[in-house]
Amino acid sequence: MRMLAYGFAQRALVGGVLIAILCSMISFFVVVRRLAFVGMGISHAAFGGVAIGLVIGINPILAAGFFCVLVAMGIGWFSRKGYLHEDTVIGILFATAMAFGVLLVSIADVYNLDLMSYLFGSILAMNWVDIIVLAVLGALVTSFLALFFKELLFFSFDEETATASGLPIRFVYYGLLIAIALTIVVSIKLVGIILVSALLVIPGATGVQLSKNYRSVLVISLLTGVVSVVLGLYLSFWYDIPSGATIVLVLFAIFLMAMALSPRRGYIQRLRYKAAE
Amino acid sequence: MRECRVTEFFSAPPPRQVIVVEGVGVSLGGHSVLENISFTLDEGTFLGVIGPNGAGKTTLVRAILGLIKPDEGSISVMGMSPEELKHELHHIGYMPQQVLFDPLFPVSVYDVVMMGRTCCIGVLRFASRDDREAVMKSIEAVGLKGLEKRPIGELSGGQQKRAFLARALCLETRILILDEPTAGLDIEAQENFMSLLNRLKEELGLSIVFISHDVSVLARFADEIICINRTMHLHGRPEDILGSERLKEAYRCEFDFLAGIGISDRSAD
Repeated sequence: MRMLAYGFAQRALVGGVLIAILCSMISFFVVVRRLAFVGMGISHAAFGGVAIGLVIGINPILAAGFFCVLVAMGIGWFSRKGYLHEDTVIGILFATAMAFGVLLVSIADVYNLDLMSYLFGSILAMNWVDIIVLAVLGALVTSFLALFFKELLFFSFDEETATASGLPIRFVYYGLLIAIALTIVVSIKLVGIILVSALLVIPGATGVQLSKNYRSVLVISLLTGVVSVVLGLYLSFWYDIPSGATIVLVLFAIFLMAMALSPRRGYIQRLRYKAAE
Repeated sequence: MRECRVTEFFSAPPPRQVIVVEGVGVSLGGHSVLENISFTLDEGTFLGVIGPNGAGKTTLVRAILGLIKPDEGSISVMGMSPEELKHELHHIGYMPQQVLFDPLFPVSVYDVVMMGRTCCIGVLRFASRDDREAVMKSIEAVGLKGLEKRPIGELSGGQQKRAFLARALCLETRILILDEPTAGLDIEAQENFMSLLNRLKEELGLSIVFISHDVSVLARFADEIICINRTMHLHGRPEDILGSERLKEAYRCEFDFLAGIGISDRSAD
């Protein structure tokens, strides 16, 4: 508990838990709708946005926010028009956005430690303004997910029939992409551009390992996210290791355990069968 | 080229026409997919739609559902245009060609059927008791009672199709539009599905549009059949059209799928 005596650690913990809740909820849809690569694409594109912010001197997170939403809309627009497949568009956009970022940074000569913390996250990076922005955007994303939950679920399960039922599918789809983009942007400071995709995938994947009912998948996803972030931050604080990387490794450890315990293919299940034989 | 044989109706009061398609033409990406399609569907009728691959059968269904706007002609469903229909979709149950769902998707049969009621629950609302009752009734009607808590991915192919039928039925469904619902099922499962459908049609007075390649199934269950290949080739009772030369013309090949299905009049030979 001594960790909480430090202001930066308090902020990291409050921000971290908010981020964990947000990412875990989004993670459910990322996993069931198979948007893992979309998450990767948008998060890497954020680098371009951060670079713009650093170079022209506005808040890099704000710049990344605009940039990510733009990229998310681009992914949606291209793939919905049927010109290209979603993964092709992402493959094109994410490398281009990163290249653009690298170029900007090298021209403006701002390559410094600051940039590293955007790439890999830092426990020191959170300030109260970040947390307020996080809380506001988090409330926005959470209300979108909660209010349109059954439409999102239907859309994720079977898009064609959902469209034929007259549901506002285009709105739901773009809404989900924007929600993913905003979640990524607010999580960057703590876990970083490169590592944020783990928070978007592993909690949901852990949930799906342990349950076949979406309600419990959501609960497990939330627990996984929050526990990993809190534990990761503690470890990061005590051993003075990078917060983003620690959180991701804790997430992975929990996921491995879930896989072992999974009723789908778990070792425990197999042992039980063996015992029954 | 076009021949529409109108079915003779009984002398009793004329049945209500639930779907009226008049001179509909659809182009997609500059190609004409459908031309001059006209037919009507009377209440309580089972209409089979046949035609070769790429004939525009699915496009026709999408146009009826209002997902595609026809370039010419008009469509009215229960007296409404597709735009008006968008707000009245709870009378139409639709089952797509293949529900491409992830078998690991964490939903139960009950959850899947409840999805069918999404549009009538309304945005920003939760399922009420009525919704839950309708879902259970629908699950019972297709004979999946007792399996409602099973994850959808753990059902057999035939049971999955019945779950999707239940989803299409759980509104105040008057018209069922089924796009090759029995594709990929073995003969026994197909048989079960068709007799279930036939029973539901009688019990609930449903009107059915049924797209299929399987002429033998339609020969037994359809009241009327239309055959399309870009344009209308035939419209009539199964016994009148299934043996005809014109069907061959529509498919542009010799085929013998009528062998052994109990249609005596095989004028095609």
